[in-house]
Amino acid sequence: MTRRDFVGYGTTALAMAGAGELLSGCATTQRAGGPGGGSDGPSNSIGYFARFGVDETLIRETLAAALSRGGDYSDLFFQHRVATSMALEDGAVNKAFTTVELGVGVRVVKGDQTGYAYTEELTLDAMRSAARTAAAIADGPARPGPQRLHVYKDIPQRYVLKMGWDAVRPEQKLPILEGLNSAAFKADKRVSKVTLSFSDEHGAVLVADSNGRLVEDVQPMTSLYLSCVAEQNGKREQNTYGVAGRAGLDFYSTDRLDRIVREAVGRTTILFEAVQPPAGEMPVVLAAGSSGILLHEAIGHGMEADFNRKGTSIYADKLNKSIAHPFVNIVDDGTNEYARGAINVDDEGNEPGKTMLVENGILTTYLHDSISAKHYKVKPTGNGRRESYRYAPLPRMRSTYMLPGPHKQEEIIASVKRGIYCSNFSNGQVNIGAGDFTFYVKNGYLIEDGKLTRPIKDVNIIGNGPKVLEKVDMVADDLVIDEGGWTCGKDGQGVPVSQGIPTVRVASITVGGRNA
Amino acid sequence: MSTTNTTNLADVARQAVDLARQKGASEAAATANRTRDVETQWRDGRLDKVSEATTRGLSLQLYVDGRYSAVATSDLRPEALERFITDSIAMTRVLARDEHRRLPEPEFYANRTAVDLSIEDPRQATLTAEDRQRFVKDLEAGARATDKKGAILSVTTAFGDTLREMYRVSSNGFEGGLRGTQFVASAEVSAQDPDGRRPEEGDYAVARFFEDLPDAASLGRRAGERALGRIGSTKGASAVLTMAVDNRSAGRLVSMLLGPMSGGAVQQKRSFLDGKLGQQVGSGLLVLTDEPHVKRGLGSRLFDGEGITARSMPLFEGGVLRTYFIDTYYGRKLKARPTSGSASNLSWKLGSKGQAEMLADLKEGVLVTGFLGGNSNGVTGDFSLGVQGFRVRGGKIAEPIGEMNISGNQMDLWKRLVAVGNDPYVNSAMRTPTLVFEGVQFAGV
Repeated sequence: MTRRDFVGYGTTALAMAGAGELLSGCATTQRAGGPGGGSDGPSNSIGYFARFGVDETLIRETLAAALSRGGDYSDLFFQHRVATSMALEDGAVNKAFTTVELGVGVRVVKGDQTGYAYTEELTLDAMRSAARTAAAIADGPARPGPQRLHVYKDIPQRYVLKMGWDAVRPEQKLPILEGLNSAAFKADKRVSKVTLSFSDEHGAVLVADSNGRLVEDVQPMTSLYLSCVAEQNGKREQNTYGVAGRAGLDFYSTDRLDRIVREAVGRTTILFEAVQPPAGEMPVVLAAGSSGILLHEAIGHGMEADFNRKGTSIYADKLNKSIAHPFVNIVDDGTNEYARGAINVDDEGNEPGKTMLVENGILTTYLHDSISAKHYKVKPTGNGRRESYRYAPLPRMRSTYMLPGPHKQEEIIASVKRGIYCSNFSNGQVNIGAGDFTFYVKNGYLIEDGKLTRPIKDVNIIGNGPKVLEKVDMVADDLVIDEGGWTCGKDGQGVPVSQGIPTVRVASITVGGRNA
Repeated sequence: MSTTNTTNLADVARQAVDLARQKGASEAAATANRTRDVETQWRDGRLDKVSEATTRGLSLQLYVDGRYSAVATSDLRPEALERFITDSIAMTRVLARDEHRRLPEPEFYANRTAVDLSIEDPRQATLTAEDRQRFVKDLEAGARATDKKGAILSVTTAFGDTLREMYRVSSNGFEGGLRGTQFVASAEVSAQDPDGRRPEEGDYAVARFFEDLPDAASLGRRAGERALGRIGSTKGASAVLTMAVDNRSAGRLVSMLLGPMSGGAVQQKRSFLDGKLGQQVGSGLLVLTDEPHVKRGLGSRLFDGEGITARSMPLFEGGVLRTYFIDTYYGRKLKARPTSGSASNLSWKLGSKGQAEMLADLKEGVLVTGFLGGNSNGVTGDFSLGVQGFRVRGGKIAEPIGEMNISGNQMDLWKRLVAVGNDPYVNSAMRTPTLVFEGVQFAGV
């Protein structure tokens, strides 16, 4: 309801997005067909979606119906997604979830107005009916649809899998879960409960628009979360570590699996020694990696062009102005191979690149979908994304991170007399216009006289985007893109994103601790 | 509530259960659903976006040789569905056996009341595009009418109406359907703060019946007032203060109390309320019941997601925890009788005063009107939440504050509940009144 946008980690994000118990599922269905993507010649232009009876005639007739009331532009977004997850609880992989989504969304744009409809029936009647519904945003004479469709081939392939998730048998996943479970119990005697969730997706999207452009992309995804409860002297603590990427089964290397156990158990057991830090303003050092949540909330959402086009973002009048120290460079990048936030093509069929949000401290580019790009008379940046065929696209982040800076991690920590160091986070949120944002710290340390001392836990940090960016006064050279499974929520739609940052110092921000 | 016109869904669910049994499931339950959704969005004097669709789907719980999976699909083509069920059963066979996974005992389906919940408004079927557009237009006008100084930058309003139908069938004798409508109206207003910030606030209303929505102009006016009220907000000093939480925002606190009441959280040792049944968790003013049969209630139901017959259930009496939300599975694991895995409507023992009188009693403190991010650790009860609202001075609302935070532990917070309002928030199934807590840690400057 309110224009508050958030990012969250794993199930936190799902709960905040109002989604069900577990969104994901397992790949046992729909074995047919090879990889999608373009193929040769107009007679054979539909790859993946041909299996559902989608052909050029169906697309052209639907687009014609979509433009029957004089819309400027229309696109169709076909999606097939099979999501499976297997869960381990109390020592056994004893539940699995599968969700199959198949449908098409029809969007009609007139100026900056949007008509939208969708259907799960990929038949001419159902699609034409949805198209006529969406068409009603306009009220004029019909415009012709495309006579020919041009298949976009040769789009970059950033997540080619040796074996798609549709070819992985459930038996191949079980040993991973069972191995992690016993390793977690073995890692520390205090561990008393372990739960695991292993999710994977296979499927594809097809975008066809009234300019005759047609592009398909096969989009895999996987994630794995290990959550454990530990007990010590009658006290309990719990924490989670997760990894995610547009990757296949080989993502789960021995190294990565070892790290999952080490991090989940270590982040849990250290909480027995942890305190909530004092309340009030103080210097905060953010560890390299998932602290990129700062960028997502403090600037990323505010740079989404829809908020600026409407004049409702705190950054609406700051383009080409200096907003941070000159060593601050922030990008939103769809091109990192196998990253959770990577895309070969956005959900409007545009190619994503590496978009500079802040270059040498100067605000440079908003994140655009096609509607805002037209408004600002710039090229779309490939940020038009949507949760599924049930939603119209919006400008959304992909992988948002800060480039390395001139300082060293040790000198940054050593520079703080009294403050905190934050290393792990669960969720964050922002008010786009006022600029206030928060992020919730699960693990960190007090800094006393330039040294990390007592562990801290469970504290929310609150700041104001532009004010905090001005106060980022040290940036280290140790950029890490976090491997965690972040989901960004906006207007009720969740999309997968990545984030990263080098170690940075924020000179002063409000820490929501206790005992001021 | 009625089962008319759900025949089609009933057939889909029955056939899916039959098919699952034919393909090797020993037990199965299926829920077929269909939702018609229309949303009209208006921005700054013109139509911004209209979306409209009827979506459908089928979800199944499969019990195969003592093994379990839950699957869902929107692809209902007969061949695709048959293959989906076959493949899902094959996947289920690979899992570990789980003796606790069975359908609910049929006794829990019994004694379903015949009460009319009145959750379907026939008006939804006759609303026209013009009706919807008039509403969103009037919402904007209401918001703009509050703007005497030209501070409003943008107004986005929306009207959504939904008809949701579901029918559930289980292989051990449950059948039941539900049809309900819901209307949502909202206005989001951005204002220009002279210091460059563009605070946004708004208001919304949710109702089962169109006639229960407030009129568009007054809802819009409240949205405008809320947004303009944010102008000039400052960060207050860190301090321990009395906190009033308005009825719209209080649901955030209540949801962090209800989460750890789930049977799954208790069984998995992830709940600070584990072992607290029958113990004092809140002050004597925390008196809360789960009440499924509220007429026109947003969370009203005759049976829950598993088919368990819904009944009124005390949650807290005089601050003492009376029950957990226990579904069939965790009930078996905990050796406890299932209650229900989820809440329906909450019913509070209300106080006698409205917010203004409560603030007059409070004298000095903070009125929280919104939370921003933050979280609560369900295992320990520790929480830390971003807040905005107003200082209360001399019993009256004073300057706006923001960019602040509250922290504490829930086992402490709920005992500090010193006043409950007479103003349940009807736009949420949690129906929270204004709540006042003493001695809350605020962080700011």
